[in-house]
Amino acid sequence: MKLGLRIWILLTVLLLAFLIIAPWKSLEKGVVITSVERNSTELSEGLRQGQVITFIDGEKISSVEDFSKIVGAKNYSNQYLKTIITTNEGEFIVYSNQSLGLTVSSIPKTNIKTGLDLSGGSRALIKAKEKDLTSSEMTDLVDVISNRFNVYGIADVVIAPVSDLSGNNFVLIEIAGATPKDLETLISQQGKFEAKIGNDTAFVGGDKDITSVCRNDATCAGVESCFPSQSGGFFCSFRFSVYLSEQAAQRHADLTKNLSVNLTAQGSYLSKNLDLYLDDNLVDTLLIGDSLKGRVTTQISISGSGSGATEEDAYTAAEESMHNLQTILITGSLPYKLEIVKLDTLSPNLGKEFTKNIIFLGILVFVIISIILFVRYRKIKLTLSVILTMFSEAFITLGIAALIGWNLDAPSIAGIIAGMGTGVNDQIVILDEATSNKHLSAKERIKRALFIIFGAFFTIIAAMLPLFWAGAGMLKGFALTTILSVTVGILITRPAFADIVRRIHE
Amino acid sequence: MENSEQHAEKTEEKKEHAQEQKHKTFKEHKHWYDKHHKTLLLIPLIVLALCLVYLVIFYQNHGDFIYKDVSLSGGSSITLQGNINREVLETGLKTKFPDVSFTSLSDITSQKQIALIIESSAEPQTLKLEIEKVLGYELTDANSTIEFTGSTLSQGFYKQLIMALIISFILMSFVILFLFRTFIPSIAVIFAVFADIVMPLAVLNFFEVKISAAGIAAFLMLIGYSVDTDILLTSRALKSHEDSLNKRIYGAFKTGILMTLTALAAVLPAFFLVTGLPDSFRQIFLILAIGLCADIFNTWLTNASIIKWYCDKRGIK
Repeated sequence: MKLGLRIWILLTVLLLAFLIIAPWKSLEKGVVITSVERNSTELSEGLRQGQVITFIDGEKISSVEDFSKIVGAKNYSNQYLKTIITTNEGEFIVYSNQSLGLTVSSIPKTNIKTGLDLSGGSRALIKAKEKDLTSSEMTDLVDVISNRFNVYGIADVVIAPVSDLSGNNFVLIEIAGATPKDLETLISQQGKFEAKIGNDTAFVGGDKDITSVCRNDATCAGVESCFPSQSGGFFCSFRFSVYLSEQAAQRHADLTKNLSVNLTAQGSYLSKNLDLYLDDNLVDTLLIGDSLKGRVTTQISISGSGSGATEEDAYTAAEESMHNLQTILITGSLPYKLEIVKLDTLSPNLGKEFTKNIIFLGILVFVIISIILFVRYRKIKLTLSVILTMFSEAFITLGIAALIGWNLDAPSIAGIIAGMGTGVNDQIVILDEATSNKHLSAKERIKRALFIIFGAFFTIIAAMLPLFWAGAGMLKGFALTTILSVTVGILITRPAFADIVRRIHE
Repeated sequence: MENSEQHAEKTEEKKEHAQEQKHKTFKEHKHWYDKHHKTLLLIPLIVLALCLVYLVIFYQNHGDFIYKDVSLSGGSSITLQGNINREVLETGLKTKFPDVSFTSLSDITSQKQIALIIESSAEPQTLKLEIEKVLGYELTDANSTIEFTGSTLSQGFYKQLIMALIISFILMSFVILFLFRTFIPSIAVIFAVFADIVMPLAVLNFFEVKISAAGIAAFLMLIGYSVDTDILLTSRALKSHEDSLNKRIYGAFKTGILMTLTALAAVLPAFFLVTGLPDSFRQIFLILAIGLCADIFNTWLTNASIIKWYCDKRGIK
């Protein structure tokens, strides 16, 4: 039998969708690199995000567990070790005294991307407190936050400005995978850092006053010592160097010039301290040694502490607050306060469970609809063609979602399944119009069916359209997949289905 | 009427005896329908009026038309993975968080609880700490999902989604008016869709279902989802002139009920057969399911009666 043009179009689009979704990817072995640490040996050797690691030191890597096991077994303790990393883009040899600055995840099974509620991760919406930001201020805010994540070392993050129907502007932050511990501080901190001597500001955070901050270098940054504290628990102190600009150093010198010197048991210090404020809260007070009096010095040591119930906790807390302070000092502050209006941390495990159930649900819906249709029409050919059309529609919709890189969250998938429902409805209309009204010409019957189908198509689009803008676009996916699937239906699968039905009847 | 009857009989003449029998019962049915379609219209009108009265009373008591969940009223929702003892948590949390509420998600095959959702208007940190105290272990992103919506955002969300719902309804009305270009049949369709929204709303409130942002989105979809049977009915009733009007309405009913049944088959399993699904997902399907049931009622009693009345008046046979 010669296939008609419409059926050919359907088959071509199906093939394209198959190629885009790439289900054979599940056969690939290895782990994919999700981020490479900045300024690392790995980066300079040529390792990049997206490469697939298959072997490390000749050992096969087929899961994230394999990766952590082999990488974790390496004992550096200040010596340089060689690591041979085999990827799909060739072999890389890394010679380093630090553990691998790579994060990896398992290879996605297809090109279909799932939303955070199914894959796990965190999502936040922030806005300026009591202030409406202009679009250029929004871009600045996005830049500052992106910069913070970058400096902090989180690569897999999406930061985008969004606005809603009432004209409110938000910044949407989505992080796939594990949630960084101090996410809230990272995104919501105004980050106004001030170093004051008395009431006068010596220097502030940001690249105007601070030319560089020592990080990841044990000689000028690190947690120094831990002590048991009086209240139980422990506290650990950290210290790192910052380098001031000439102007800031001059200001510091001017402010210390006229201070008197106090002699104490620990040594001789100036009469006023250097007070460090973060967002108007005093975080630390540093004594200024008398040798610094009136001197233009560009290197300053900043210290602070962290506390915890155990020594280990206190150590981690100190490390974190050091890391945070370094980030703030580098990236500078915002001219307004920020407010977290939505913050979700979504468990990857729960997402896995949900995904499994959704796939099961999809199959179940197929089976039930098939049974209903078979009971009604009692014709295996007709039932099969409805089912295949329904499947094609869902499959092509998934293909388009994969093509445009849309993250399918639970409402998006609900849209696809509901779309399958309307698709079947349209096919029932075609079938019934084709079998009834026998005295009308085939063309007229199809015309009548199309009137109903187009009517339903336009109403569903009209009904879903407002969702694109309402609620900061949080339910955009639901509208998008619904509209996609009915459009695929009307343009591709429905014409082909009408053709198939005509052939079956002939 | 007489004419079309004769016409119908003529075309059927050559058919088998059994089919004739069937046709006779259909004729009786038709006769009954001719007499009573206006009475039939009363039923949905009374139900709709009751629903509206209920909603007005509800509004006076609650200051709103729905029970809002934390995504629309502001607060935290914490989903704990695993088979967690609900009673222990309930007694542990009730004193500190009087508004706390629980929903279990279970796996359908094993009937085992796979997750427990805890909702409260409290801040996520305080709620989390208290849950950790009761359970005796730390909540991490490996064993729990924590969602927080600030009250300013949720109020904005709610207003906008209601706005979106109204815009959606208006757009749908324009499409219908454009499609049929006749006033009364279009109004009949729009009215049926309106009833399709009001009835599920009353049902949800009656069962004290808290509606989420995704739930309101489902109402938008319901507008598009329920209208196709109305379009089918109206276009069949107005456009074909071969069979009698009643037969056309009955034919549309046969097609339309199958459409609604398959649509229900797409949404109901998410409810009765597979329950371990995200809450947003289940809520969308719950609202579509109730809406589709209401749609059977509103299409084949409300809309069909009005269109029949209209066609009789206009002499469309």
